[in-house]
Amino acid sequence: MRRNFSRSELIAVGVIALLGLIVLPALNSAGLISNFAINLWGKYLCYAVLAISVDLLWGYTGLLSLGQALFFSLGGYMLGMHLMLMIGKLGQYKSDLPDFMVFLGYTSLPTFWQPFRSFLFAALMILAVPGLLSGVFGYLAFRSRIKGVYFSILTQALTYAGSLMFFRNDLLMGGNNGFTDFKLLLGLDLRTPGVQRGLFIATVALLLLVYLGCRWLTMTKFGLVQRAVRDSETRVLFSGYAAANYKLFIFVLAAIIASLGGALYVPQVGIINPSEMTPDKSLEAVVWCAVGGRGTLFGPVLGAISVNALKSWATRAYPDSWLIILGGLFILVVLFLPGGIASVPGLLARTMRRRKKSDEPIAAVPATAVSAATEA
Amino acid sequence: MATAAHAESPRETVAHAVVLTDNADEQRRLVSGLAGNSDPDIPRLLNLWKESGFFIATAPAGGWQGLAEGAKVAVTLGDDKDADDKQAASVLATGAPLRDPAGQPVRLVATDLDNADTDFDLRLAMKTVLDLAAVTAADPVQRRQVVEQIGLAQDPAKLPVLRERVKVETDAHVQQALRVAIALLELRSEDAATQIAATNTLGAVRALSARDALTTLARETETTRPQVARAAQAAGKAIETHLQVVNFFGTLFRGLSLASVLLVVAIGLAITFGLMGIINMAHGELIAIGAYTTYLVQNLFGNGMALSPFGWSFRLPGLNAGGWFYESYFLFALPLSFLSAALAGVLLERCVIRFLYRRPLESLLATWGVSLVLQQLLRSVFGANNVQVYSPSWLSGHWTVFDVLLGWNRVFVIAFAVAIIAGTWALLTKTPFGLLIRAVTQNRAMAACMGVRTERVNVLTFAFGSGLAGLAGAFLAQIGNVGPSLGQNYIVDSFMTVVVGGVGNLFGTVISALGIGVTDQGLQQILGNPVLGKILVLCAIILFLQWKPAGLFVTRSRNLEG
Repeated sequence: MRRNFSRSELIAVGVIALLGLIVLPALNSAGLISNFAINLWGKYLCYAVLAISVDLLWGYTGLLSLGQALFFSLGGYMLGMHLMLMIGKLGQYKSDLPDFMVFLGYTSLPTFWQPFRSFLFAALMILAVPGLLSGVFGYLAFRSRIKGVYFSILTQALTYAGSLMFFRNDLLMGGNNGFTDFKLLLGLDLRTPGVQRGLFIATVALLLLVYLGCRWLTMTKFGLVQRAVRDSETRVLFSGYAAANYKLFIFVLAAIIASLGGALYVPQVGIINPSEMTPDKSLEAVVWCAVGGRGTLFGPVLGAISVNALKSWATRAYPDSWLIILGGLFILVVLFLPGGIASVPGLLARTMRRRKKSDEPIAAVPATAVSAATEA
Repeated sequence: MATAAHAESPRETVAHAVVLTDNADEQRRLVSGLAGNSDPDIPRLLNLWKESGFFIATAPAGGWQGLAEGAKVAVTLGDDKDADDKQAASVLATGAPLRDPAGQPVRLVATDLDNADTDFDLRLAMKTVLDLAAVTAADPVQRRQVVEQIGLAQDPAKLPVLRERVKVETDAHVQQALRVAIALLELRSEDAATQIAATNTLGAVRALSARDALTTLARETETTRPQVARAAQAAGKAIETHLQVVNFFGTLFRGLSLASVLLVVAIGLAITFGLMGIINMAHGELIAIGAYTTYLVQNLFGNGMALSPFGWSFRLPGLNAGGWFYESYFLFALPLSFLSAALAGVLLERCVIRFLYRRPLESLLATWGVSLVLQQLLRSVFGANNVQVYSPSWLSGHWTVFDVLLGWNRVFVIAFAVAIIAGTWALLTKTPFGLLIRAVTQNRAMAACMGVRTERVNVLTFAFGSGLAGLAGAFLAQIGNVGPSLGQNYIVDSFMTVVVGGVGNLFGTVISALGIGVTDQGLQQILGNPVLGKILVLCAIILFLQWKPAGLFVTRSRNLEG
């Protein structure tokens, strides 16, 4: 793991920033890139943010959380509540209340919905709700030293409980259908290409910020301890570090990152419902991360984009066998390419080197994060 | 026309009554005379009469066989209408065809005949007879149902019918139902003393069905007859208490059966996850394979089935079995489900899991991939919709013990769970194979050094755990829907059960399944909402693990990482 940004990495990030923040939106407004494409890529990039949050936990700290979809959709729901109130009288029932509440027979807005009229409050809740939930859950889990697969199973149960709860109508979060049919955000019409373009730019900016932030974090001493926890938690404990606190911090941070991704996802996709919250969605995010390459930060981004692009194509071309493709891909990657796509160049370079100097002993390859995690 | 000097059959009596169109009193007397007769023909005949199924024919010049000219006879018409609208006529009294003097069957046109009408008084008399006929039905279960319905309808007009019947009833259950029904009818009485006596009867026998009637009575008589209201309230309270007891035991029983389902589902996982340490996310799909095997066996015993996987369709022929042989399909389905799931388990272990013994987190991911593939395969082969598995009749009845409903299938689940646990326990602790399993799971390296072929033991252990999942599937097919995502509904629950019980401990799994099952049903009963109960159980489990992070029963070791 490099301790500082290399020049090539900075150049790559700069190029992507230029492309995402300026060139693509400009081409879109010139009509060279369709609105559909911009919207689709905005979605992929939100997934990429989610994938980074999974990687921060799994690739860097060794915590396989199956709860990231819960935090992702919680962020979406928080912004969704604000968007639902912004529909105002434009809804089907021409009422100040969201349509589903009118349908359920409510005549006034429940108290906990009131403050969501303010965008600032909603934005605060996007950070606070997943942060608090992950904080409490993480505190309980790490305090009693639940780790490894037990942690995965527990987070899976948490997500399952969450989705069961949101499927209920009397939670007043839209039940089965969730929130949809949004109209306005900050007074701007969400259905215009210009606003969608703005959301795309915001997503690119968020992704870059998250990438650079996580990159910086993993380079610090904190990042070092984080990886040490992954490789041998017991040794970290014996060296006098409170491993639980490190894990808790990362868990909360990852939850907030996922939630931000979810908050940007909802206005672009235009719908949020409890099926986004199931343990399966969490596992899907883990697949992106594994396919792209965990233990690197660009791997998950690569994985999220490529798997979702594959999904978009395969669900149209082979609707019946899409799940077989995804499942098969996953089995193959886990069995034969534990480092994901990100490790392919390294593997190729190694084989090339081996061919060239087949008579010389091969220099010990530095243990990658992946193989170390594997042994743990 | 012969008078009814000899003892007539009900059929003759009805035929006799039908033609007496000008003597309504006599008609009524004859019909009422049928009351209390348990001949099964009576309800059919009277209903047919009410629905204008009888006609009155007058013999033409020359007469018919046995009938002089001008004599009236009750006939029924066949449904073989010919081109002239004529239908074959039969004499109602004998059921034989009506013949002319030459012996040829007579055909008549319905519109030429008089319809045998019924007036209001006659229909009332018929109804009384019919009610009584119903309470005298030969089948005690049917009799009891009728009596219970009469009781709930609270029509005081039926009181005499019931009072007649209660004197001769022999079946104890029906006798009880009759007394409750009579008391219910008496609640409508005008006489306060009768009402109080009736409420006391209802309270004394703890008649659950009388709860609403008593509440209504208490409300209606509150001001007019306070002592009746008081009696009704007291009886209502006694029944309420009884209901709580019944509900408690019902909940306990349902909790036990849910626990058994959880146990049956989780026991396979307790082997593969608990003992071997493999996180098999495809465990749910192994359950589904067992369930579909049951479905397949059922269809092979029946009419066969058509399958069309991947656009390639074929038909499996069936045995067309019927009766008890068809009903016994489940006994064949059980071992076959075990074998098919075990086979799938062997494939899974050989192709995927054996590479991942040292990487538990990754076995979770790879087996999730397997679960997706299997789900899609099941969907492609058997279709995306749920399929129907019929329970054999010996699994679909119920017993009622002190008002607690004990479904046979639930009783069977409990027995089945006990049998499986006992079998697994015996296998693990009493057989050489069990010894090998325990040796390999406790210390693989050491077992290998001692000459145990650990690879083979792994395969067999995993196959055994998978087979248990298949058995669970065969089982779930009897109590719920079978669909491609059947396993998904149970996977989270079963992992929870194993984790709470303490990994590597069968006994812990049993206790935790019991705890979770009974808590779940209890919360459902208290909250009246299944989903909320489930959420609370999940939260309770998370908190429970704070207290006992390694589950109920910890396998102690000196290993820090363990």
